Amino acid sequence: MDLGALIIYAAAVLLAIVAFARRDMSFRFGLRRALEQAITLLPRMVFALIAAGFVVKLIPTDIIVRYLGSGSGVTGIIVGSLAGLMIPSGPVIAFATAAALAAGGASVPALIAFLTGWSVFAAHRVIIFEIPLLGSHFVRLRMLSVLPLPILAGCVALFLTKI
Amino acid sequence: MARDPLSPDIDWPELLRRSFGPSFWIFVGIAGLLAVICYAVLGPDAFASAVDNDRQMLLDLLPRVAAAQIVAGFIWVLVPRERMSAFLKRNSGKRGLVIATAAGCVTPGGPASAFPFLAILAGSGADRGILVAYITSWALLGIQRIIVWDIPLMGIDFSLLRFLIGAPLPIVAGILARRLPFSVSLEESPPPIEPHK
Repeated sequence: MDLGALIIYAAAVLLAIVAFARRDMSFRFGLRRALEQAITLLPRMVFALIAAGFVVKLIPTDIIVRYLGSGSGVTGIIVGSLAGLMIPSGPVIAFATAAALAAGGASVPALIAFLTGWSVFAAHRVIIFEIPLLGSHFVRLRMLSVLPLPILAGCVALFLTKI
Repeated sequence: MARDPLSPDIDWPELLRRSFGPSFWIFVGIAGLLAVICYAVLGPDAFASAVDNDRQMLLDLLPRVAAAQIVAGFIWVLVPRERMSAFLKRNSGKRGLVIATAAGCVTPGGPASAFPFLAILAGSGADRGILVAYITSWALLGIQRIIVWDIPLMGIDFSLLRFLIGAPLPIVAGILARRLPFSVSLEESPPPIEPHK
């Protein structure tokens, strides 16, 4: 078992103990919320992962490696950022795609640019939540403020992985 | 009989409607379609290896994702949201940006809890740098998302690197938001939304 899995399992046990020790409804509410979220997410996630697995099988590996691989440098960061901007959906698709791209040979800087681009733009959130709750002026301001972030993150990652 | 929103009982019919709603069938349809294309284009051998890869990936990921959901559920219950909002309102300047970034990072829940919180902040007079830093941090560094998605799917090394690189970025976005030559005043945003009492 790798460290990431270990941390998650340990955190689950630790938080369950903390919630239980409060002796109020925290433990039941926490478990209930976990169960609800798992049931809401897992069915879609399973099929998103299956779909992403097939997509990556269909995209020839040399294309992923050429545009997003370790030799792709700044091009990979730009391609990754743009791909991230264009994913108008929640984490299910974004992370399934990222995991599949990683398996297909995409480099760390390109993947970081991809996930950063997706997190800060996420068009579906803008339409569903941001415009109705904060107005289009705020959205315009925020979009321009976060525009450089995916490229910036990718370049820092490229620099850090080079040294 | 009206259902108590805080009842520990789960509303199963509603929950199942949500998880197996139209979007679920779209995912199933896309996966099925891609499977057929994969079989037709690449042939049975490559198809079998793709199915095997998918099976491996799912067996590998699902237990972690299940544990991650438990972590997320408890974090959601244990973090005090009201106190966070009051604390953010009292701070501004560069320090405010750092605090907003930290607050975004620990805000539990999906967009349905982060955006109403942002609207409450906007209504209570936080400046635009704080607002942009907060929501950017939630999107980029949200601990819950990192636990649920990053670590199980991308591994601990990648998650840590992405977090470290991302950590200063909400502050950069907040500074940019303050500097941008826009006549964006928060009066243009909708009237303040009262938190539920």
